[in-house]
Amino acid sequence: MQIREVLNSLTFRYIAKYVVTLSATVFLLVGAYYVYFSYTSFRELGESVLEELETLQLVYRGQSLAGVEQYIDDQMASPSVARFYYLVTDQQGEKVAGDLAVAPRYREFDDGWLGFEMALQNRGESIDVEFLAHPMELGDGYRAIVARDYADIVERAELMFRTLLRVMIATLILGITGGFFSAARTLDQVERLNRGISRIIRGKPGQRLQVEGEKGYIRAQAILMNQMLEQMETLMQGVRRVSDNIAHDLRTPLTRMRNDLSQLRHRMAIEEGEQLDRIIEECDDLLSSFNAVLRISALESGSRLAGGNEVELRALLQDVIELYEPLAQEQDIVLELEAHQEQVCKGEADLLFQMFTNILDNAIKYTPSKGVIRVQLSFGENDTGHRIVVADSGPGIPAAERENVFRRFYRVESSRGEHPGHGLGLSLVQAIAQYHYGMVKLTANNPGLRVTVSLP
Amino acid sequence: MNILLVEDDKQVGEFIVAELHAAGHTCIHALDGEAGYQAASKASHDVLVIDRMMPRMDGLSLIKSLRRDGNNTPVLVLSALGDVDDRVQGLHCGADDYLVKPFAMAELLARLEVLHRRVSLPGADTQTRLVVEDLSMDLLRQEVKRKGTTITLQPREYKLLEFLMRHAGQVVTRAMLLEKVWGYHFDPQTNVIDVHVSRLRQKIDKDFEHPMLVTVRGAGYRLGAELDH
Repeated sequence: MQIREVLNSLTFRYIAKYVVTLSATVFLLVGAYYVYFSYTSFRELGESVLEELETLQLVYRGQSLAGVEQYIDDQMASPSVARFYYLVTDQQGEKVAGDLAVAPRYREFDDGWLGFEMALQNRGESIDVEFLAHPMELGDGYRAIVARDYADIVERAELMFRTLLRVMIATLILGITGGFFSAARTLDQVERLNRGISRIIRGKPGQRLQVEGEKGYIRAQAILMNQMLEQMETLMQGVRRVSDNIAHDLRTPLTRMRNDLSQLRHRMAIEEGEQLDRIIEECDDLLSSFNAVLRISALESGSRLAGGNEVELRALLQDVIELYEPLAQEQDIVLELEAHQEQVCKGEADLLFQMFTNILDNAIKYTPSKGVIRVQLSFGENDTGHRIVVADSGPGIPAAERENVFRRFYRVESSRGEHPGHGLGLSLVQAIAQYHYGMVKLTANNPGLRVTVSLP
Repeated sequence: MNILLVEDDKQVGEFIVAELHAAGHTCIHALDGEAGYQAASKASHDVLVIDRMMPRMDGLSLIKSLRRDGNNTPVLVLSALGDVDDRVQGLHCGADDYLVKPFAMAELLARLEVLHRRVSLPGADTQTRLVVEDLSMDLLRQEVKRKGTTITLQPREYKLLEFLMRHAGQVVTRAMLLEKVWGYHFDPQTNVIDVHVSRLRQKIDKDFEHPMLVTVRGAGYRLGAELDH
């Protein structure tokens, strides 16, 4: 199975789309939460700063500057890292208390909020930390600024963001890999199903799809398809039975008619009865095609060859060729037999003879004047079985039609009207080959047709 | 010809009887195997035509019984069973010919003539020379002459002519030629036999005024003048 095939498969594309959409949705949701989290964190931070300022003001009102100084000193002594930083200035702007430098480079925000950066000592290291600050008039010209660092908030938000990103990437990778494998699995199942179907199409209508080992909907589908095949076969057999019945039932009255006609003919003078002769010929033609239909059916529906006699294939082919030689010569066609040794196979000589005469008959019918028909007898692959090839130099049969010509009454469109026949010859050939556990294959001979009969 | 027909299908039987009468033969019709056995034992006939599937005694048992009794009248089996096996089985039981239903009357007539003739000319198989009108065939030297002129024939043409000469004056159908001369029982799709016959005709008739090998419309061929019954 090709990777590209998997990537192009519907299942994979569906799963990939699903994973991407899911990730995007999750990303949006978590992003919204991130914004909400940052917003509330900052608001809480701001509120705490304002509360602290209010506390400072209360302290100032109660205990004036000394109280404020005392309060700030107490706060600064606390070991907590996350604490407030203070700056109290007098009327001249001079620092009176607190641990912030006078007027660091403030950035000014809305509503009097200020931001700045300051290095803090943390475990012997100097780290630049972002601060949020707000000033307030304490009274009597004293001003206080309370600041609070928000590194922890940023850190938490960043951590959250990074986690989110990783989770998303992991989801995408896992989802798409999972999608790939499940698509590959489905594709594998579908391919197995397809192989089964094409095997059945290629002329094994009796076969069924493998149900064991399949799971889930593929199994259900295979079962359904098998039921459909079952039904189709029943219908096909029905049609065949009907045509057999027609052939069978019409044969007797047609024979009677033919007999009556020939009686009538005998009473006529030779010159008068030409029309009647044609009618009698037509009758014989019809009868022979009815007989052929019934013979094909009998061969196809009955059991196959049991035992059979030893048939010398080279001798049989020599007889066939000898029978057709004059006909070929009449049309200036060269008929050649290439058989190096006698080959003996089990079978019914009459049926095999019928089969080869049908093939040769076709070959002569379609080979133009001055053409060549070559009959070859050899052993099959790995020296097992027998192979008989009849190759002509006629127009051949288009590749698309080669399977169809085995169907009863089927005739290649271009040969209709041009050549006589009922479209039963090759059906009978196939029925006889299969009766002998063999098979028939048509290939191109460039130019012409190559009929290969394989017998066990 | 004096024929006994053993056929349980009344309609088919009557048709055959009428046709045989029309062809100038006498025919007795028995409607089942047992009646057929009695009729065949009571009087002698030239040829027996026996159906296979019949009530009371089937055709093959009937033939076996007759042969056991030492009755060697030629038998033609008529049957709807036309598979290779059926044919072989029929011939195995002592039948001389086998015709599958439905059949053309001309085919039946031709075959009956041949069966009859074979018996009425005893010693035909040991002949060393066949003569039909001015055509002669030396079976030992494999030589064919017409009016003293030697005619060269291919092996199959020779066999074909031999068969025709042995049945001179009788209608020989294409199916019979395929069976007896080529040794295969099959349905040719085209007029392949006609080509062989016309080649043979070329050789034996071309340089002579009187044609010997004639085509009988709707039936087959005949060598020489028609025989009287």
